[in-house]
Amino acid sequence: MPIQRTHPVLTALLSASIGVLLFAGGCSGGGTSDRETGPVAGPIPPPPLPSPPPPPPPTGAFATEAETSRFLTQATFGPSPEDVSTLTGTSASNWFLAELEKPASLHTPQLEAYRAMIEDLDADFPVLAVQSSTFSFWRNAIEGGDQLRQRMAFALSQILVVSNFGGELLTDIPEPVVGYQDVLVEGAFGNYRDLLEAVTYSPAMGFYLTYMGNQKSDPATGRMPDENYAREILQLFTVGVLQLGPDGVPILENGQPVELYDNMDVTGLARVFTGLDLDGLDRQRFPSVVDAVDEWDGLEQAMLTPMAINESLHSPELKRFLNCEIAAGTPGAESVDQALDCIMAHPNVGPFVSRQLIQRFTHSAPEPAYVQRVAATFDAGTYTLPNGTSVGDGRKGDLSATLAAILFDVDVRSDASLTDPQFGKIREPILRFTHWARAFDADASRPEFGIELFDLSAPDALSQHPYRARSVFNFYRPGYIAPGTQSGAAGLTVPELQIVNATSTPGYINFMTFWAFGGQSMIPPEELAAELEDMGVPVDRAALERAFVPDYSNELALANTAALLVDHLDSLLVYDSMSEETKAAITATLEDQPVDGPGDTEALADRVSLAVLLVMSSPDYLVQR
Amino acid sequence: MPTNRRDFIKALGAGALATTALTAMPSTFTAHAADTDGYKALVCVFLFGGLDCHDLILPRDQASYDQYAQLRSPLLAQQGVARQRASLLPLSPASDGVLQGRKVALPPEMPQLDSLFRKGKAAIVGNVGPLVEPVTRASFESGAVRLPPRLFSHNDQQAVWQANQPEGAQYGWGGLFADAVLASGANAALPQFTTITTEEVGPFLTGRNAVPYRVSTAGAARVDFLEDYYDGVSGERAELLQAVRDQMAAKSYRGNHLLERDIAAAFSGGLETNEAYDRARQQGVTLPTSFPATPLGAQLRTVAETVNVRDRLFASRQVFFVGLGGFDTHDAQARTLPKLLSEIDGALVAFQAAMDALGLARDVTLFTASDFGRTLAVNGDGTDHGWGGHQIVLGGAVKGGEIYGSLPPPTLGHEADSGNGRLIPSVAVDSYAAELGRWFGLSRSELSAALPGLGNFDPLSNTFI
Repeated sequence: MPIQRTHPVLTALLSASIGVLLFAGGCSGGGTSDRETGPVAGPIPPPPLPSPPPPPPPTGAFATEAETSRFLTQATFGPSPEDVSTLTGTSASNWFLAELEKPASLHTPQLEAYRAMIEDLDADFPVLAVQSSTFSFWRNAIEGGDQLRQRMAFALSQILVVSNFGGELLTDIPEPVVGYQDVLVEGAFGNYRDLLEAVTYSPAMGFYLTYMGNQKSDPATGRMPDENYAREILQLFTVGVLQLGPDGVPILENGQPVELYDNMDVTGLARVFTGLDLDGLDRQRFPSVVDAVDEWDGLEQAMLTPMAINESLHSPELKRFLNCEIAAGTPGAESVDQALDCIMAHPNVGPFVSRQLIQRFTHSAPEPAYVQRVAATFDAGTYTLPNGTSVGDGRKGDLSATLAAILFDVDVRSDASLTDPQFGKIREPILRFTHWARAFDADASRPEFGIELFDLSAPDALSQHPYRARSVFNFYRPGYIAPGTQSGAAGLTVPELQIVNATSTPGYINFMTFWAFGGQSMIPPEELAAELEDMGVPVDRAALERAFVPDYSNELALANTAALLVDHLDSLLVYDSMSEETKAAITATLEDQPVDGPGDTEALADRVSLAVLLVMSSPDYLVQR
Repeated sequence: MPTNRRDFIKALGAGALATTALTAMPSTFTAHAADTDGYKALVCVFLFGGLDCHDLILPRDQASYDQYAQLRSPLLAQQGVARQRASLLPLSPASDGVLQGRKVALPPEMPQLDSLFRKGKAAIVGNVGPLVEPVTRASFESGAVRLPPRLFSHNDQQAVWQANQPEGAQYGWGGLFADAVLASGANAALPQFTTITTEEVGPFLTGRNAVPYRVSTAGAARVDFLEDYYDGVSGERAELLQAVRDQMAAKSYRGNHLLERDIAAAFSGGLETNEAYDRARQQGVTLPTSFPATPLGAQLRTVAETVNVRDRLFASRQVFFVGLGGFDTHDAQARTLPKLLSEIDGALVAFQAAMDALGLARDVTLFTASDFGRTLAVNGDGTDHGWGGHQIVLGGAVKGGEIYGSLPPPTLGHEADSGNGRLIPSVAVDSYAAELGRWFGLSRSELSAALPGLGNFDPLSNTFI
């Protein structure tokens, strides 16, 4: 017989899970049940049954269920069936405008709730807190009402990278990364210049790129300012290394690309980022901030507070970089201001940032014309939606206008893009999981019970974990061209292919097998509860047994006829774009599994799980078009 | 050549040959001259982030040490006794040419490497880095010389080291070396095991034909469903499993979308290569020696295990890539770098012991590489991005106990200083790679093809292997 509760595949999966659980000493999860949510929190009214849909809007973005589903795939953490049926026939412009207005689901309050639980439990090791950036990410991504904002924050987190991969302070103390998540969430629809400033002053970035406590040069010892942030803010966050045209294509002189700056610029800019330090940290007592862990009561709060500037450590020298000059003697805050203004004025910023944002939402190898349209919007700071409403305040760097330009682009929204053999992107592994959870209404309100989700950064897991890139260079590079591939031969940049290999492909299949087959609910609840309680995670048994269980009722109703089931999943997960060959092959495979009529519920349940797994492992699904 | 026909047929069984690696094989034989007799393997240990060369090879004569101690005083104050002159491990190379009367040492975290150096199994190649053509301080400062693109940038210099091009590079010299031996008939049965990585798949191992295979340190990645869905496999169950396997290998995909085709090929190739690797390993990979339980130790153990089953993989030439991160020591260098140096010491020496025990000491050569060296000047409690750096070469074929290349003095403003102690390399990566490639069996013309910049440099006066 097929899968039963004691089936070996699940037994194996379970033991692996418990293994992960035991191994992942650094895990937390208190379980805050409530957070600030957007206005759609609460039960969504069922769609009116027989009433005819209103006439489709002229843009066509939400004209059909497939188009709605495709748009939401690009713009959110995955379309839910309710969203698709509710929104189809309405205006995508209005949806976009409504998303801009929704209150932000923040991360910091969730951390505070976790912290409170830890103290209640008097746990000796704050395992709940250590993983709280992970938990609040899953909760906001899957359950947050402000989907567009959360998705934009996630996109920004892959450009302005901060990571708790490396251990040390950002792993041991959750505040800096959680606070940083909120910097990105709050800045998601703001201005890129303002966001850069918030990032520059954030303790997370200050620690990650090592300029927290950075000092002016000392001729006596030969000490120089730390160059790390100066280099990466140029190379990775704003202008890149090559002079770009307005379409993001490097400009050639004598056939060669033109490098924008050399190390003199970096040493010049490095002087700007001196004197910044954790607000209130006593450097006499704690020469290294790591020493302050468990020794200074103010550390956690300081990590949620923008860094301060110690003028006595700020470089008074002339600061020269990128054709900018900041006069000798300019104080710290003013230097940072001038430097960011100057960088922001560079013509590269628009195409450089726009191209990377496009890659996070719609297209891995965008045509130069697409980049140019979005970059022009970034520069103009305003965009007119299809319904005639304008978004953005007209200042260069407006991210709401930029995002609108990415999603509503004429080429992206055209039917031709669906059949263009080069358009689209590989779905990021994290987005595949959130999509599954949203499509099948799996309960993510208590993410700390999802032990398989504690760390997905390993190569045999997903090679991607929120806010846990291996380095400031993210999970993959925007310029990655995969050698030995057809896209590579065509010269296409496909960042996500950088984490596709012989270890990660079975890793993803195994990960999805666990979720698709309801592995979470197959873990004996007593064992799971005991493990969690050992780590100081308070367990509510009812919530525990509900966590991450998919609702397959719609699918079970169709499962007796494999072809209907596959058609349904094609609509739900792939906006009706699976190829006939793939659908036929999956259908035939499902039919290989014997089902003894509509009463054979166990076999039908297996068929549904297998169908979900096979669809979500198919090339048709894995590439978002 | 396959050593056991039955094994070979079994390896063929599940379609292991139907991979892109083989279908991409050249069908015509041109004048390929690579020597593919016996067995040889190259192992690249990439130290991500830029290893501080000035903390790998330290000055030991009093005058040099005093200069160093002054420039590095903030760091030395934090490191305490570990960087006091008396704690350093003296290196006594067989000849004095590089040192010109100076004395140098390894840090105390590397006692076993010191021992291998004394035994003649390890060598140091000093001041290696990317170059387009020879550079002097004068030509660097005047701009009258071609320089590698995007110096001092991590991702670009990693790519330049591995593939002679900045980010976006396609073919690395490890992969091009593999191409040469494949074209000469090596590894014909299972070419996909020519280039193997335990790390991210960067350009180093990618050739025009060679495709890097990524393994995990836990062995071949398996598909849980196919392993565990049924206890016994027979009849219609076997049919279902085969159908599921075909789906997971994207066998039914017929579309024309480039990304979907790439994904289909990756799923298909990955599944089949994993199955073949798993079969080879199932007959036992146990090693006679142990490895430290560190990330680098685990990776080098996996390499040693794979070398140990080379006959079952039908491999006569292999290139491996392993990596360790954490070397970007802009801050907290005194706290973080010694642990990493210690990890290198333990893992490298364990690897050499394993090769000795397998009787392969002369057949396997390990070498290090890194983004760049670092500044000699200190930025507070760390160091910044440099250019040239010192490398370790290990193995029975290495002319060990010797220092090659150059070791500039621990001062600022000398002829190899491009500023703040960022060293202008004296040994081009191409020259370093050419030595390794020559030993691997490549002909001169094959080396020139794999290392197009090689002709811009004189051959090394003193070959290290």
